[in-house]
Amino acid sequence: MRKFAGSYFGRLTFFILFGFVLFLASNRVDELRVYQGASVAMYVVAIASLILLTGYSGQVSLGHGALMAIGGYAAALSRNHWGAPFWLCFVVAIVATALAGSVLGTAAARLSGPYLAGSTLALAVGLPSIANQFHILGGEQGLLFDIGAPPAALGADFTEYKWLFWISAVAALIAMWWLQNILRSRFGRTWRAVRSNEVAAQLAGIHVGKSKTLAFTVSSGLAGLAGAMLAMTISTVSPSAFPLTLSFAVLTGAVLSGVTTLSGVMIGALILVATPDIADAISSRFASSENVTTNLPGLLVSALLILVVMLVPNGPVEQMRTLRNRKRAKALR
Amino acid sequence: MYQLINTVLIGITSGAIYSLMAIALVLVWRSARVVNFAQAGQALLSTYIGYEFIQKFHSFWVALFLSMLVGAAVGAIIDSSFMRILFRRAGHGPIANVAPIIATLGLLGLIRALLGLVVGGKDVRINPPVSNVGYTVAGHTMAFSPLQLVIVISVLLLMLVLSLIFQRTNVGLALRASAYSPEIARLAGVRVDGMRTLGWALAGAAGAAAGLLQTPNGTGVLSPDSLEFSLLLVFGFIAAVIGGLESLVGAVVGGMVLGLVLAFVLTYVSGSVVFITAFGLLIAVLLVKPTGLVGKRGGRRA
Repeated sequence: MRKFAGSYFGRLTFFILFGFVLFLASNRVDELRVYQGASVAMYVVAIASLILLTGYSGQVSLGHGALMAIGGYAAALSRNHWGAPFWLCFVVAIVATALAGSVLGTAAARLSGPYLAGSTLALAVGLPSIANQFHILGGEQGLLFDIGAPPAALGADFTEYKWLFWISAVAALIAMWWLQNILRSRFGRTWRAVRSNEVAAQLAGIHVGKSKTLAFTVSSGLAGLAGAMLAMTISTVSPSAFPLTLSFAVLTGAVLSGVTTLSGVMIGALILVATPDIADAISSRFASSENVTTNLPGLLVSALLILVVMLVPNGPVEQMRTLRNRKRAKALR
Repeated sequence: MYQLINTVLIGITSGAIYSLMAIALVLVWRSARVVNFAQAGQALLSTYIGYEFIQKFHSFWVALFLSMLVGAAVGAIIDSSFMRILFRRAGHGPIANVAPIIATLGLLGLIRALLGLVVGGKDVRINPPVSNVGYTVAGHTMAFSPLQLVIVISVLLLMLVLSLIFQRTNVGLALRASAYSPEIARLAGVRVDGMRTLGWALAGAAGAAAGLLQTPNGTGVLSPDSLEFSLLLVFGFIAAVIGGLESLVGAVVGGMVLGLVLAFVLTYVSGSVVFITAFGLLIAVLLVKPTGLVGKRGGRRA
C-alpha cells in the first residue's frame, strides 16, 4: 500500500479521488462556500508556485502578485480580442507569464536572498502602474474577463459559482499533479541540490544559473495560471486586483503551509480564505467598531505568520515529520 | 531653463528623503545582514508618535527629536526581543535565508494592522513646520521651499553625525568591527549582540526622521495603510542598492541619483513610468555593478 501511494499511478489515483470528493462536496454546500472553494483553488496554485521557487529552489519572491497580474491580463486580452475559449485563455496566461518569468529569472538567478526579495518587491509595486500607460490594458478600470455561462448540458440549476469552482478545482488539481511529478523528476532533484549547496551542486555538474532560471520560469507559469483563475473568479482584471497585499498574502500562505514541502499547501490556502470569515465572526461577536473589522484579518494573518516563523520555521507538516522521526529514533534505541 | 532647475531641485529633495530611508536600511544590513522590510512600519509608527508629540508640545522640532528617540527604542526592542530569538530558532536549514525576510514582512503587517486598530479610520494631518511655498527668484516660483531646505539640511546633518560616530568614536569602531567580522570582533571583546541592537536603534531613528520629514513634504496626510510609506521603503531600498548596501555615503549618493532620475522622468516623460524606471535602474545596477556605485573591494557578500 505504501509503495502504491508513492508511485506515479498512486498519485494519479489520489488526485482523481480527491477531485471526486470535491465534486460531491460542491453539490452539498451553499453558494458562498462554493465561491470560497474557487478562491482556495486559486491560492493553492499561487502558493504552490511560490513554494516551488522558495522551498525547492531557494529563491524568494515578494512579487508574485505582479506575475499573477501578467497572467490575468494575458487571459483577459486573449478572451477579449480573439474570443478564445476559457481553457485556451489559461494556456495563454501560463505561457505568457512563463515567458516573462524566464526573462526575470535570468536576472534573478544572479541575485541572492535580500537583493532578489527587494527587486521583486519593487516589481510588485511598479508593474500594475503599467496598465495606465498602455491604452489596450484599460487603465485603472481594467478589463473584463467573462468566461461565459456554464454549458447548458450541465442542467438548469447548475450555478455560475459552481462552474467557476469546477474549473478552478480541475485546474488546481492538474497543476498540483503535474508539479508533484516534476519535483520528482531530474529537474526537481537538481533544484533541491542547488538549494542545499550551490557549490556542491556545481561540482556535481549542475549549471546553477540555468537551474534557477528554469525554476523561476516554471514558478511564473503557475503564478500566471493563478492570476488567470483570480481574474476569472472576480471576472475583471485591474491594477487594484493585484495589490502589494496579494503578493504578501501568497508569501504568508506559503510560510503557513511550510515553504520546504508541497504537502501542506492546502493549509495556507484554507487559512488565507478563512481568515476574513473568522475575523468577521470575532468582531461581530464583540460588536466592535469599523476599525477592528477592517484591521483584524491583517492582524490575525501577520501574527500567525510571525508565530509560525518563530516556532515552526519549516512549517507544520515538516515539523510533524521531524517529531515523528524523532519518536521513531527513540523507539529504535 | 526654469523647468530644468526645478526638476533638479525636486530631485534633490526627494533624493534626500530616499537617502534617509536608505541609511536606515544600510545600518541594519551592515550590523545584522537583514534587509529590514519592517522599516516602513517602524517609520509609520514613529511618525504617528511624532504627530502626538506635535499635538502635545506644539513644536515640530521637539517632536522630531522625541520621535527619533522612540524610533530608536522600537528598533532596539525589535532586535533584542524578536530578531535574536528568530536567529536562534531559524538560523539554519533551508529556511535560514528566507526567515528574516519573512519575519520583517510579518512585522510590517503587524505594525500596520495594530496602528489601523488604534488610529485607523481617520486621517491626521501634519502641517509643515516652515513655509512650503517655494522661494521666488526673478518673478518665478521655484520648486524649493524653506521646508525643503530644512529637509536637505537635516539629511546632511544626520549623515554628518552618523559618519562622525562611525569614524571617530570607540562605539563606531566596535560597530564597524562587528559588521566586518562578528566572530573576530567577539574574540576582541566587542559585545556583538549589543552592537547589532545599536545598529537597529540608529536605523530606527533615521527611519523616524524620514517619515516625519516626508509626510509634510508629500500630501501631509497620514494613514496606517498609506502608500507613501510603502514607496518610501521601495525607493529607499533601491537607493541603498545603488549605493552598494554597505556604505552610508553610498546610501546618500544612491538616494540622490534615484531622486534626480525619477524627477527627470516625472517631468519629461510621464508619471506612470516612474516605478518601472526605478525598477529598471535597480536591475541595471544589480546586473552591471552589483557592488553599487560607491562599493569597493570584492563582490557583495550575500
